[in-house]
Order: sequence, then C-alpha cells, then structure tokens
Amino acid sequence: MNRTRWIFVGILAVVLLIVGVSLALRAGQSGGATDSGLTLERPEAVTVRVLTALPVSEWVQNAADSFNAEDHQIEGASIHIEVIAMDGLTALGRWDRNEFGALDSDTRPEHPTAEQQAALDKFPTVWIPDSRYLVELANVSYKERLGRDVFLTDGEYRARPVAISLFTWGIYQSRAEVLEKSLGTISWRTIHDAAITKGGWPDLGGKPEWGYFKLVVPNPQKNVGGLAAMIAAAGEYYGRTNITVADLTAPDFQKWLKELMGAVTDFSSASAYTAEDFALFGYSVGDGGQLLESDLLQNMQGILTRWDDPLTLYYPQYITWFDFPYTVWMGPETTALEKNAALEFERYLLGEAQQKKALAYGLRPANPNVPVDATPESLFVKWKDHGVEFVVPRSDAMRSPDREVLLTLLRWFELNVAN
Amino acid sequence: MNSKQQRTWLLIIAGILLSAFMCCLFGLALGSLIKHAVPSSTTTTPTTTSAELTIAVSPGMGPTLQQLAEQFNAQQHRTPDGKTMQVRTISLSPEKIVAQSLAHPDFQAIAPDSSLWLNQLNREWEAQQNPTTEEKTLIPIGSRRFDEPIRYAVSPVVIAAWQDVATQLGWPNQPVGWADIQRAATENPNFKWNHPGTGYASGLLATLAEFYAGTGLTRGLTPEAATAQTTIDYVRAVEATVQFYGEGEDVIVQRLEKEGRNFLDAFVTQENVVVAWNQAHPDRPLVAIYPAEGTLWADHPLALLELGEDGETPVSDNQRRTYQAFAAYLLSSEAQQRLLQAGYRPADLSIRLDEGNSPFANTQAVDWRQPQTTLQIPSEAVVEVVQNVWWYTKRPTNVYLVVDTSGSMAGTKMRLTKAALRSFVQQIRGDRDQVGLITFSSGVRLVRPLQPLDEGGRQSLLAAIDDLDASGETALVDGIWEAFDDLQQQGDAEAINALVVMTDGHENSSHHRISELRQHLTTGSSFPVVVFTIAFGNGADEKLLRSFAESGGGQFRRADETDIEELYKIISTYF
Repeated sequence: MNRTRWIFVGILAVVLLIVGVSLALRAGQSGGATDSGLTLERPEAVTVRVLTALPVSEWVQNAADSFNAEDHQIEGASIHIEVIAMDGLTALGRWDRNEFGALDSDTRPEHPTAEQQAALDKFPTVWIPDSRYLVELANVSYKERLGRDVFLTDGEYRARPVAISLFTWGIYQSRAEVLEKSLGTISWRTIHDAAITKGGWPDLGGKPEWGYFKLVVPNPQKNVGGLAAMIAAAGEYYGRTNITVADLTAPDFQKWLKELMGAVTDFSSASAYTAEDFALFGYSVGDGGQLLESDLLQNMQGILTRWDDPLTLYYPQYITWFDFPYTVWMGPETTALEKNAALEFERYLLGEAQQKKALAYGLRPANPNVPVDATPESLFVKWKDHGVEFVVPRSDAMRSPDREVLLTLLRWFELNVAN
Repeated sequence: MNSKQQRTWLLIIAGILLSAFMCCLFGLALGSLIKHAVPSSTTTTPTTTSAELTIAVSPGMGPTLQQLAEQFNAQQHRTPDGKTMQVRTISLSPEKIVAQSLAHPDFQAIAPDSSLWLNQLNREWEAQQNPTTEEKTLIPIGSRRFDEPIRYAVSPVVIAAWQDVATQLGWPNQPVGWADIQRAATENPNFKWNHPGTGYASGLLATLAEFYAGTGLTRGLTPEAATAQTTIDYVRAVEATVQFYGEGEDVIVQRLEKEGRNFLDAFVTQENVVVAWNQAHPDRPLVAIYPAEGTLWADHPLALLELGEDGETPVSDNQRRTYQAFAAYLLSSEAQQRLLQAGYRPADLSIRLDEGNSPFANTQAVDWRQPQTTLQIPSEAVVEVVQNVWWYTKRPTNVYLVVDTSGSMAGTKMRLTKAALRSFVQQIRGDRDQVGLITFSSGVRLVRPLQPLDEGGRQSLLAAIDDLDASGETALVDGIWEAFDDLQQQGDAEAINALVVMTDGHENSSHHRISELRQHLTTGSSFPVVVFTIAFGNGADEKLLRSFAESGGGQFRRADETDIEELYKIISTYF
C-alpha cells in the first residue's frame, strides 16, 4: 500500500472515531427523552389536561365528554380533553412548590431527564382556578423562579372567564326568619351578633333544640371560598372593598373575626365541597353561611330532600365574585399544538350551547348573549322562590386580595382557628 | 497537480465523505445502544403495574365495604393494559390506620370512620416531613399524605338504648342528652352503659361530650378548660360508671346478641348500628337517642394515599384507576341503596330517607330529621389534649396477666408470648391502672403483684416478662384461682377488675377442681371480675376456656403464632 492510501485509511479511521464517539455521547445523554430531534412526527392525538376549580369541574367535565365525543381535530390530530378537579388554593400551593414539574429556566426543554419527562407527561395545559387573583399569585411565584409570567393577561392566550358566580348567604328558612326578627337584615354583623349570643338560639328567639348559632365557612386550607368569606367579612367590617395587611392585623378586627369563626362547628371534618357538606349534614352542623351561589343552587335539591327546612338565599352588600378564568400555560412544558388545542376547547366552553348548560350547574354565563333564565333547566329558574336573584342587587364588589393579604389570613387561621 | 495526484485527492475527499456518512449511522446505533442499556440514574422508586387496591377500613364499616368490594370485583373492570381491577379490604381501628399510613403501609387507600382521623394523619405527616425550606411554607396548602377524599355514606353518633330504658329517660317526649345518661349512670349503680375508647369516632365524641359537660361549655373548648381539675374530676366521676371499654361497635353488637339486655342498658354508637340491630331483632328493638346538647357525624371518608416516600412503592396508575372506578361504584345507585339498607345515610343526596323501603321510614327508632345540632369539634390540638387527658380520667383498671409457662410453651410460643405481653403492658397508659403477672406450670407463681405502671413499675414488669421460662405441667385452674383471690383481697370495686388468661394446653396439675373454680368465679366476688381467656394454638382446651370466660362475664378468643400479639393489644383496649 502506498503512502496516499495510508493517508486515506488514516483519515477515515480518525473521522470515524471522532464523529462516532461524539454522536454516541450525544444520544446517550438524551436519556429517556423523546427522539433525538432528527425526525419530526406529527401526533395522531393531542391531550389537553385541564386543571379545574371544584365549583366548575362537573360542568367542564360534562363539556369535555361532549367535546371528546365530537372528535375535534387540530392540524390533523384528535383533541382529547382530560379534566383534573382541584381546589384553586390547593392548585396554587402546588404551582408554588412547583409540584407539577415546570422546568428550570436553565433546562433545555428538548432534553429533559427521564424524571422531568414523566412529570411533563402529566403537566397541565390549562388551569381554570376559581378566581383571576390566583393566576396573578401563581405568576408572582414563577416570576421569582423563571423571571417571566407563565400565564398571560393579554393577547390570544390571555386568561378569559368561562363562567362566573358570587358569594351569597344561604340560611335555613326557619333560622333566617328568627335572625331577621331579632337582629335585622342578614349581614356579617347580624351573623357575628348571633355567633356571640351566649345562650344560643333560645336567646335569639329560636328553638332550644337548635343549640347555639352555627356558621358555615369553608375550611380555607381546603377550599379557597374560606378565604373569600373572611375577606368579604373584613370588607363589611371596614366598609370598603380593598383590604390590606394592616386591616387584617388590627387587634379589634382579629378579635371580631375570631368571635365569628368561633361559631363554626367543625373545620376539621369540612371537605373541599362545603355546600355539599351543608346539604349532607343539614342544619345540624350549620344554620347558615356565605357560600358560592352555584354550589348552593346545585345542592338545594339535596337539602330539600334530606332536611325538614328549606334554604333561602340572601345577597350581601359586599360581594366576592369568582370568574373562573381559562388560563393556558405558556411555558415550554407543553407543545404549541397542545396550546392551540386548548384554545379550541376554550371556544367550545364559551359557545352558547355549553354556556346554556352551565345554567344547570347554577353558574352565571360568561357569554353575555346567554341570560340566566335561558333554559328551563336553569337552576336560577328552578329556585327563584328561594331568594335567587336573576340580576344581582346593587352592591360593592370586593377587590382581589394580594399575596400578602392571602398569606396573612392563612397564617391567622392556622394560628387562631386550626390549632 | 498531475492527473494521478488529482485522482488521489479525489479518492481522499470521497473517502472522508463516505466515512462521515458511515460514522453517522454507527454513532446513532451506538447511542441508541447506550440509551437503552444504561438505566437512568434518577429513577429511585420502585414501580408496579398492579391493579389490585387494598383499603384499610374501620371495623364497623368493614363487612359492608367488603361486600361492596366483592360486588365491584365481580364486575371484572379492566385497566387499559388489560389487568383486572380488584379491591380488597383489611379491617383496622382508625388509630392504627393513621399510624400505619405514615410509613410503608400494606394498603393504598384508607376508609376510617371519620375525617377526624384524616386530619390527624395530615398533622402527623406534616410533622414527620418537617418542611424546612421557605419555599415549602409560602402557600401551606395542598401538600397532603392523601388525595382529596370522597364520602360515600354518613351516620350520626347516637346513644343506643333499649326502648324501655329510653322511655324512662324521657324519650320521645322530651330531649335526652349526654347529661341525662351521665346522671342515670351516677345515680343508679345498676345502670350499665359503655362507649368505645377514644380510638373510635363514637368513643371520641362521647369523651368530648363529657369534657364539654365538665367545663359547662357547648363550644370553645380550650386545653386549659379541658385540663382544669374540676373538669378532670367530673369526667372521672362519669367514666367510673362505664362498664368497660373495648374494640368498637361490632363487638358490642356481638355481645348484645349473646347476652341480651343484661349486658348493657345503653351504649354510644353510630346510628346505622341501631338500624341494623332492629332489622335483625324486631322483637327487642333499640332506640337511637340524638343527644340534645349535640352530637358528631361519622362521615366515612375514602381517600387514596400518596405513597412513594423513602423507597415506598408508589400507587400505580392502574391502582389509581381501580380507586377511581371503586369510588365511582360506591357512589352508584346500586351501592348507595345497599348502604341505605345497611342503615347508613347515603352520600347521594337524591335518595330520600323517609320514603319507600328506606329503613328510616315508618319507624320511631331512628329519625331522619335528627340531629338538630352538633357539638363543636375543637381544633386538632385540643382533640389531642382530650385524648391524652382521657387516660387520666378513665376508669382505672386492675388486671392480672395469667400466663401458661408449661413445657409445651417452650421455644417459639414463649418468645411470641413475651412479645405479646410486652405489647399489652405498653398499651396500658392510665396513671391509675395496675397490672400484675401470675404464671402457672406444675404450680403457680406470683411473678409480680398488681402494681401501678409508672416508669419503675413498667420496667420491672417488662424485665419479669423477659425472664419467663417454660417447663412442667399445666395448673390452669390454680393460676386463675390465685389471681382471682388476689383481686378480691385488693377490694377495689371502683376499678375495672379483670384477668387475661392464656394457655396452649389442658388442665392437668391443679389442686382446685374445675367445678369449684366455676362456682368461685360466679359467687365468690363482691364486685365483678371480668375474665378474658385465650386459647393459644390448636392444643388448648377451648371448651373449658370458653366456660371460664362465660362465668367471668368476659370473652373467649383464639390465637395462633401469627396474631397472639395483636390479640393482646386488642384486649388491652378493654381497659
């Protein structure tokens, strides 16, 4: 073999070694990730995981079932909607602790580890929390971690309400009549006065067997409605809609709030489904409380079936709204196809057909073209004799609490009520 | 460059291109091999694809949930990968469910009788995890040992009484409360009532009611109020009237079946027990008294544990599917109707209680409109205080452990017996409780007389247990006789006096005759001495042991090497 041929074989061997080893290392480092990127496959199906607040979860699940059955497609891929019901505050806690497994800012999304990939397979594409302020709180958390918002407030992917509801008083009729007669219009002040009446119902003019006055407030560690109720109570106490940390830490207010919470019979057994508890255990655990209108309407039939006293709704002066914003996760953990598929389902939820179906769950439509009495199945129509108002009376809407207000209330509850 | 040189360079360039192409193919193949051959170093927890779900359930609900599980299993649901979904249940007291759920449980889901236990589990879990990072504590919500629970049935805690007893208390014309029961028990020495220990929802509620009555409160119970001397004195006086404690409602019902109304006048239980009893015994009905001061609900949650810590086998996707399918089945119309027929109030709110073939319709024994009010459940910290203080207020116990140390007990049996006796001693926590140890073989030996289980007493007794040895014959009758006489000499009628007798053989060495002992147990006492007997293994004289238990108003139980320790623990709950 002459020199030229030796050179040829030598170069061949060196190139083979360098390129082969580098490619091998690269492929090995990618671990259990998806294919190396040399090929691009179009999926046959795309799954949209929707983390959904409890008050709308049944409606969203029902809509998802219809949507899936209709085989909606995007870019040739079938869209499958998977609904995961979770209380908004619980979800916020999980976002805050990054339990869904969002990638760190320095991680390349195309090369996740096997563990990261397993988490990403279950990563929520959409979050429908109870209220817009929970989205803002999650954004604050991720901004600290990633340096950017993960849920957008404007543009095509901005959070849009898909239904709305508000907090109303639900009180057993016989008890409400006695309260109104002895203490006046139903309000947090009335309820507080009833709560601190030492002799209980007999002192208020009620029956001895009713025991002491019992208030229903969701456990804020399980249901975001508990925080909403306490913030609404603070609003009425101070006569304004914007509550600050200083308001919550004022000794007089804390004393007043503690007396109020002292009328709650049982926080420990309260589930995340407070209105359902209210129906299941009836007046034995609560004479009344400020709960989400849709939850009360959904459980009205159960209350009438199980207990010997109907429930009546009263609308407070200081109102807390839940707007159930449909919020698409904007990080690299979900694909563009998934994000666009999510928008398809959002349009479906906001369509007149699904908005009308929301009425059967006691939810007020986000689509202004659908009135609350649009269908005979509307719970607003069904329970109009129980104090339900089609148009909410003139009132003051509570402003969304900021993160510090929320944490202050949670800590106060932990220290003064839960322990 | 001449043509030869040009050809050479062309060959070199072509070779480089060809080799680069070959390298790509080789490299990809090698990379693929590496990827599949080297396991990921981040995988640390074992996984399973099992679709079998095990649920730990409270004893009272155990049989009903087992039946429902069997019906679910018969439907042969399948997971997407073709595995058959299977649910099995194991019966555990709520306290044990909590304790075992904290680390490496043998089950994936739990169904205690009340959410109170879920909260206790959560609190203990959080304490165990001890979060240290600020990040974990910012939004302290949603980090739990279990997933969001469901409720499939509920039942209020009531005072069950024979109809004539209830009538004497004022039922149904006037409200009857905890105070009336407590008054009846303190004023009438023949009034016999019972509530389970605080390890059950009904026992915890009865105890809470006593603490409320002792403080004069109906809500806002604080640790200070619960531990005030006047409160403790009051609760002690009431607890002194309790006939005995025990395992829970199911055992009380078994004894009611056997001993009828001589056994108890009233007992604290769940409403469904009254319904079930009356269905089986329409000729001697019980009545549910809904305490006027308020009661508590047993709300029967079902929750899936979130396992995977410290090498635990995580709950598989298939087990999650089985859980979801079983939860859906429990809420189905079929299962809800079965729960209604078993005496529970179904979680399905569309089911009326007052119509059709509902056991709540057309009866005065239970009332679907009740309860009117509930007692306030204090915070978890106060509940814990009440549970702890109860040990200082409960009726004191004098109990003799009467243990067979004959030759047949040598080896494994003696080793297991020592472990069981140690467990028993560790379970007795009342500051006024006394425990003694008597062994029998060819003769009888008083190893340790009755002594309080303060730190010194407990260690002394445990050391004596460790020193036990096996040899000789079986003087069973003399052993019981001596322990019984010693209790008589103590003359402590205020306490629960009891013998726990265990043997693996037949009587063959006593001076006293069997018939003499039977008569002695029946007539030789000025106050009751309860006799529990345990047949250890297949060689024990079960007939004789059963007769002694009957004479002594106690219980006979069988045990083998697998459950002797558990049985001693169960018996300890009676004290």
